[in-house]
Amino acid sequence: MSDVIVDARSVGRSFAMPAGPVHAVRDVTLQVRAGDHIAVRGPSGCGKSTLLHMLGCVDAPSSGTLLFDGQDVSQLSDARRSALRLRRIGFIFQRFFLLPMLTAAENVELPLSEAGAARRDRQQRTKSLLEYVGLAARADHRPSQLSGGEMQRVAIARALANNPQLLLADEPTGELDEATGAQIALLLDRVNADGTALVIVTHDSTLADRAARVLMMRDGRIEREATR
Amino acid sequence: MNAVGFAWRSLVRQPARAMLGVLGVAAVGALLLDMLLLSQGLIVSMRDLLDRSGWDIRVSVREIPGRGGRVPAASETAARIAALPSVKATLIVRIANARIERDGGPYIAATFEGVSGRSNRGAPITAPWTVLRGRDARGADEVVIDEAIAKTANLDVGGTVTLRASCVADLEALPPAHLRVTGIAEFPFAVTNEDGIGGSLDALEAACGGNVGDEADLLLVTSTGESRETAAAIRAAVPGLFAMTNDEVVGRLQQTGFTYFRQISAVLTTVTVSFAVLLISVLLTVSVNQRLGEVAALRALGFSRSRVVKDVLSESALIVGLGGLISLPLGLLLASGLDRILKGMPGIPADLHFFVFEGTALATHVGLLAATAIIAALYPMRIVSSLPIAATLRDEVIG
Amino acid sequence: MILRTLVFLLVLAGSVTTAQEAARAPAHDVLISRQLATEQGLSVGSLVRLATDATGTGARTFRVAGIYEPTPDPARLGTVPREVRMHLPDLLDVTRPPGALAGTEYIANINVALADPADATAFARDVNARMPGVIARPSSEAAGSAGPFRVLERFHLAIAVVTIVAATVFLLALTIMLVDERRETVGILRLIGLPARRVLVQVLIEGVIVASAGAAFGLVLALLSESLINAFFQWRYDTALVFVRITRDVALTSTAIAVPLGAAATVLASWALLRRSGLRLARR
Repeated sequence: MSDVIVDARSVGRSFAMPAGPVHAVRDVTLQVRAGDHIAVRGPSGCGKSTLLHMLGCVDAPSSGTLLFDGQDVSQLSDARRSALRLRRIGFIFQRFFLLPMLTAAENVELPLSEAGAARRDRQQRTKSLLEYVGLAARADHRPSQLSGGEMQRVAIARALANNPQLLLADEPTGELDEATGAQIALLLDRVNADGTALVIVTHDSTLADRAARVLMMRDGRIEREATR
Repeated sequence: MNAVGFAWRSLVRQPARAMLGVLGVAAVGALLLDMLLLSQGLIVSMRDLLDRSGWDIRVSVREIPGRGGRVPAASETAARIAALPSVKATLIVRIANARIERDGGPYIAATFEGVSGRSNRGAPITAPWTVLRGRDARGADEVVIDEAIAKTANLDVGGTVTLRASCVADLEALPPAHLRVTGIAEFPFAVTNEDGIGGSLDALEAACGGNVGDEADLLLVTSTGESRETAAAIRAAVPGLFAMTNDEVVGRLQQTGFTYFRQISAVLTTVTVSFAVLLISVLLTVSVNQRLGEVAALRALGFSRSRVVKDVLSESALIVGLGGLISLPLGLLLASGLDRILKGMPGIPADLHFFVFEGTALATHVGLLAATAIIAALYPMRIVSSLPIAATLRDEVIG
Repeated sequence: MILRTLVFLLVLAGSVTTAQEAARAPAHDVLISRQLATEQGLSVGSLVRLATDATGTGARTFRVAGIYEPTPDPARLGTVPREVRMHLPDLLDVTRPPGALAGTEYIANINVALADPADATAFARDVNARMPGVIARPSSEAAGSAGPFRVLERFHLAIAVVTIVAATVFLLALTIMLVDERRETVGILRLIGLPARRVLVQVLIEGVIVASAGAAFGLVLALLSESLINAFFQWRYDTALVFVRITRDVALTSTAIAVPLGAAATVLASWALLRRSGLRLARR
């Protein structure tokens, strides 16, 4: 059985602009396998985030083929793609995007609830995830009562709620100081070590250096790939 | 967390804003409810007033009884009507202006209703008033008076009232009549600020110094069977007069005097609903636009399009639902105030109400509010459902 | 004799018929309302027979000399004005009960047009003093007919008050939201040293501009609605009555309420925001 989770074949993404089309991603071929730890680096505007969004089925390629678990993503309905993101993919954002009116526990529980998990199972899973990220004591705190690092850890717990095969992180330490960033890096290592494939878009060299594969992007293409 | 729970948490996140939105809907909903009550209120109230009187057909020289003109040869006309097989009872009603004299005070202007009834097969004859205390007036020297006269003139059952009535013209100089008060009554068709006296036609004749003549302002009829058929029979028996069932009187009033209120109610209902839709839509749209990043993140996490749309719809439903609940007591309170204002209109029976609570009005109110919640949420629902996830996430980072 | 009084609007529903042959005596002239003419298919020159009895007893023949538009009467909204105007002697002739002597009739009202309308009150007082049994009053004091409209005015005012309250509540909610959108900007301004008062003045100016623009737009909308509402109801009731009129006073009152309300709502929402520290406001 293939362990390829995402198979991107010559994918490209263009945006129509008044001054002419912008090719954010051009002809990228990439495979993400189970357990992979990949960092994507490059200058601003090179297409890193756009590539990440395509891998996560948040955005559709303008050209090429993207297969997720062997399924052509462009052939899937929006509902199917949403289901895919809910159960198979986890997302972490630079700006955390925790819901401010919910507690840490409620934020983590959201994807479980949406996936239809039973109440008891949800509560148990939420508790164990918060313990996993070291925030069991802050379960009832709202995001405004948490530090940046704590918010990102809650976001990681939320992203892992439905036990995804693939975790995508877009500049996860972008708004954190060095020390806190290092803590998040450690946590992400652990997530990867526990079996979740990880693709991180980052400017942070500390974070990038921990990855097994580092993709350097420029002008929408993968310029080179380094393997550790 | 389901959509309603999520919507509730979104609302209480900004309690001041949510509360104001709910209060706004409550105020608009109250007005909407009142307009719905007004649209049928007069009709319902008038129908009830007519039905309660115990008479189901009105005969007069005009389509709308009581607007001038008298039925000539009233006794003969009443007899011809009473002779019809489907007629149970008839009542001649003659109305005159009266002045009640008081010791050491100005006279009290009142309306004197003199009646004379004829019944077939022992059917009861109901006077166009309701005796509250004492008994009805029967003899030529007996009358019933309303509470206002009793209070102002310091009269009660058993007392004597001195009055002069004008049956022909207002400028007659007539001797006073002394009549005994046998009861205190309520006159449902008396207009606001108008005092009422009731008695037999003989009593009215005495008060008018014998100048009554054989005329009637109105003939009231009850029928044994279908009132519409009886009315048709009356029209055939006495051509030249209008015989109208209670439903027909109400129908005619609906086309004429009451039509303004139905129209204003329709216009204000439309304006109110449009106003509510616009304001709630703006409120929701601004709220959604402030949370686009969160919505995009939820979509990225796997929330389906229908789920985020349901969240917005639930928020709208909560604001409108809570506001709608508050609007009910508020609307009823407002209605009583508006009713008091409109009852100041001259010529309106004191027992007639403009705002009458009815189940159908409430059902329509609920329906309209539900439609408001849905329509107001359409645009913000469209925003979240067509939200470009990746672009929004990008914009959030840049912004 | 030209009929001076305008009060005789005799509704003879069902008693008008068109005569096919000329009357034996020359027919006197009458005017009929447009609505009656349309309903009965009459035109200038038509001969009609008028009676007060539905059976037509005692009918007299008249010639339609003209068709007029009745003065709209708000008190009779919804009724079709089937009206005939005739010379007083003709009216008395038609309405006199059989056997009654001529000269025993009476009229209900006389309308008087004065050379100087300002003399109305003094004239009425004079007539009342000289002619007992006759009641004279200036038209402006005819409260009997204006009474319902004073009540309606109060009713409409009550509705307007409720509408303004609802609008104010919504306005507050919206301004709170809109001001909140700019909290970061406000926070930064405070952090760089602008006093709260300065920010409030800025907000007030913006609030006045937006509220004035809103009021102006509202007036335009009201004027448009005025035309639509009047057009609709005039068509619906076949009347020349004006139902909605935006007078200068109405426009000024609306603006005087809307602009301060809008500005005050913005300032109130901003004031609540400015009570927090700049750091809290600027923090995301």
